[in-house]
Amino acid sequence: MTPTPEEGAASPFAGDRAPLPPRADLYTAAVLLAFGLGVLGLALNMPTFAEQSQSGLTAPGIVPGFYGIVIAGLSVLLGLRAIRRGALSASAQHAPALSRADARQLGTAAALGILYAGVMVGTLPFWMAAALFVFAFTTAFEWDRGPAGRPRRIIEAALLGLGTGLAVTLVFERLFLVRLP
Amino acid sequence: MLAGGFAHVLQGGAIFHAFWAVLIGIVIGALPGLTATMGVALMTTLTFTMGPQVAMLVLICVYVGAIYGGSRSAILLNIPGTPASAASTLDGFPLARKGLAGRAMGISTLGSWLGTLFGTLILAMFAPSFGEFALQFGSYEMFWVAVFGIVIAGSLSGGDALKGYIAGFIGLFIATIGQETNHAYARFAFGNGDLAGGLGLLPVLVGVFGVAEVLNAMRGPVVKAVSSKIDSVIPRLRDVTQYWRTILRSGAIGTFIGAMPGLGEDIAAWSSYAAAKRASAEREMFGRGSVEGLMAAETGESACVPGAIIPVLTLAVPGSAPAAVLMAAMMIHGVNPGPMLAITTPEFIYQIVAMLVIADMVKLVYGLLLVKPLLWVLLIPRSRLMPIVFVLCTVGAFAITSRLFDIWVMLGAGLLGFVLRELRFPMAPLVLGLVLGDLLDKNLLRGLVLSGGDLSPFFTRPISAVLCGLTVLAAMWAVPGLFARIAGLFSRRWAAPRP
Repeated sequence: MTPTPEEGAASPFAGDRAPLPPRADLYTAAVLLAFGLGVLGLALNMPTFAEQSQSGLTAPGIVPGFYGIVIAGLSVLLGLRAIRRGALSASAQHAPALSRADARQLGTAAALGILYAGVMVGTLPFWMAAALFVFAFTTAFEWDRGPAGRPRRIIEAALLGLGTGLAVTLVFERLFLVRLP
Repeated sequence: MLAGGFAHVLQGGAIFHAFWAVLIGIVIGALPGLTATMGVALMTTLTFTMGPQVAMLVLICVYVGAIYGGSRSAILLNIPGTPASAASTLDGFPLARKGLAGRAMGISTLGSWLGTLFGTLILAMFAPSFGEFALQFGSYEMFWVAVFGIVIAGSLSGGDALKGYIAGFIGLFIATIGQETNHAYARFAFGNGDLAGGLGLLPVLVGVFGVAEVLNAMRGPVVKAVSSKIDSVIPRLRDVTQYWRTILRSGAIGTFIGAMPGLGEDIAAWSSYAAAKRASAEREMFGRGSVEGLMAAETGESACVPGAIIPVLTLAVPGSAPAAVLMAAMMIHGVNPGPMLAITTPEFIYQIVAMLVIADMVKLVYGLLLVKPLLWVLLIPRSRLMPIVFVLCTVGAFAITSRLFDIWVMLGAGLLGFVLRELRFPMAPLVLGLVLGDLLDKNLLRGLVLSGGDLSPFFTRPISAVLCGLTVLAAMWAVPGLFARIAGLFSRRWAAPRP
């Protein structure tokens, strides 16, 4: 009963976008191989507690070591498959992973997210951090719509930010008694 | 016992909670970029101070509502609100383009309502007896249940089985970070006290499904406006009488797939749709606005919800990603799902049944009444919605243990989830790995200690052997053409002339 994505619809599965070039899989396999071997190495260096358990069968490194071996083994298979699909051929075409516009939007979202969650939260009062983040995010992503109506959009973004900060604080902290950062 | 379950659940303001929670679920599901998993994870935060009963009701209502809500944007925008609704775009959107958006939503409501009801019936009938059967499972069997979950999720949930397995084992690895139970040794902590405490399941899930979704949503094209003209959404009785076979078949497929660890609603919908197409007399209409196709997809995905809760209650193994979060929420609220549930609190299974039925009924009410307001919700620009979602993610990650470290975990998990998705790794096995990591870890070591290092009980005990065989079959399923080659070998042998 293997599901078959039908024509004309976005598949819910991972392969719903254009397939990755084999070379991307090869690089991924290399990173995963290093990761798997790293996990294995760290697991082997863990104490065995053999003197306490008499057998060493409860050693903390057994399970992660097993995972490390499996990840390394599967990444070798991934790499071999990528090579079989032409990852090493000189003619392999590289489609850009992200368009320039996508990369810019993604970078903006990630940078603002890290600035908010990593720096502002815990430093500023939560309502203020949330308000500033929502304002900055909305303004940044609506900036490209052009100068017409920009002042109005900025005011709306400010109100949205303020509303979010206050509403989240009230609902979570006062109504549901959840501690906020 | 079932009546007792209803009586227990309906105490207090249950109906009030059900109404607001289903509404939130539908809105979350309807908005592209917000998934049922994210919804259940974020709402878990809100339920911290509630009693376990109300908390479970709220989360189940959000889950049921979100899976249903995804069909709204699938029909009106041709964009599935949740991955589970992708199959509904095939016939839902063509119906809407013909000016039958209301009829499509009516069919979706009817199919979804019947699907959840069917799945709930199966849950009520089989979960208690399966729970009693699961009492025979020891460490060896539970180890195989966990491995089977990872393998089947890897084989079927992502299209690329190899990447599915890798994602599953990355999830299992993440679950090993922090102190282990036997010697309290902090694995992969590197002297960091926060890491020694382990990575919380909820911050990781909020990261993988919340932050990664926000990043993903912000880099795509802007969603176009929807049709504002809606015809009648009242479902027709004829749709049930005409397609009762499709409804029953899709309900059975959806529930079965839900009960398989880690597969989830999207696969249930696709499989139900494919089965309906194969069996239909009007298969040429599929993809062009087939009522039967839409009914099959909606019934299948909604039947999957109770199906996915069956292994949670009986084995402590989630059937889908939202069910994984639901299971984590159960543990947070002091309910320990798994085989022992049949002994410690057998009435809990019937309470869950009652909650599912209540959620399903409320969903039906909203499906018939809440059409126009949902259209407005769908028009909210992502530049205004996504920062609010991100703020909620931060609250969700922080609230459980009040550690700023958990916010960093959320960010890291979000980035990892985004990169893995970009590299076409499926997320369901990763989540299952995270959830099953502890189960696998403990039972492997416990089994080894019990057998004195002898591996044979893992293969020779009857239930273990069956589970091991199923795991091998699930892994072989993923090898392209393997079954065809084996079948070919047998057919050649039979066809060969005898000497």
